[in-house]
Amino acid sequence: MTSRRALLGTGAGALAVAGAVVVGEATHRLDDAARAIGIKPRPRPAVSDDALIARVAQDQNLVLVAIESTSARHPELTGKLAPFAEIGQEHVTAVGGSSTVPTDDTVDADPARAVKALAQTLSTTSAARAKDAGMAVSPDLARVLSSMSAGLAQGARAVGTLV
Amino acid sequence: MTAISAMQKWLALEHEAVWLYPLVGARFAEVITLSRRTREAHLVTRDELLERLQEAGADPVVPALAYDVGPLTNVAEARIAVRHVETRIAAACLTLVGEASGELRDFATSSLRRAALDELAWGGPPRAFPGLP
Repeated sequence: MTSRRALLGTGAGALAVAGAVVVGEATHRLDDAARAIGIKPRPRPAVSDDALIARVAQDQNLVLVAIESTSARHPELTGKLAPFAEIGQEHVTAVGGSSTVPTDDTVDADPARAVKALAQTLSTTSAARAKDAGMAVSPDLARVLSSMSAGLAQGARAVGTLV
Repeated sequence: MTAISAMQKWLALEHEAVWLYPLVGARFAEVITLSRRTREAHLVTRDELLERLQEAGADPVVPALAYDVGPLTNVAEARIAVRHVETRIAAACLTLVGEASGELRDFATSSLRRAALDELAWGGPPRAFPGLP
């Protein structure tokens, strides 16, 4: 089986994520995402939010890549970053992303700078999810994205104090 | 639940937060600065909710004389009590997110984020989905 690490190396990683979401569209992934985090979906059409979910899935996958890559580049931080990797995986799963993660080789060699960059990524993504929540048609998707934004904000704050 | 009833539920919790933080700050010097800063934010939110409810023609819920927040005999208990109210505020904000649209939804989202950060500041662990059980 081709690993996601190999897929990213060939530029196909994004396609793999998009593929996962396309499958999700066919099976009303939004409802699955809502159920996965404990929200009972309402009987509303989810089709108009599918493009938003696909974009969010790609974006959250990149966040998970950033966390895992920082951890791989700086093994001394792996334990401290583990809870954030777990949260990143929960976010990806909620929007129908992949469970395996490629790596990013551009992580800064300096741990303090690497951690600062990761915190900035989480902060930027938090703001993006907040904006997405405002755009969502489905109330349940709005809640998922809003909550995700809050979790990412916590991550940004906490990661920023690690080093 | 409507947006109005969701805001009323949230406002009741803001009343509780505005009552709790001075109590915590007065009892435990090590968290007095954090208590003051957090209370200031809750005062602003409370007033904004009052204004929004009044503009909507609703009769805003009033604060209770006191709240059962559990024991406050040491700072660890105080942190637990504070996190408990912030967690419930986050849940109330999340309810409103689903009931509202436009600017009101944005307000609920940004307030959820603030509650989540307050949970963290008072010793809570980071969570994937603040506002959810």
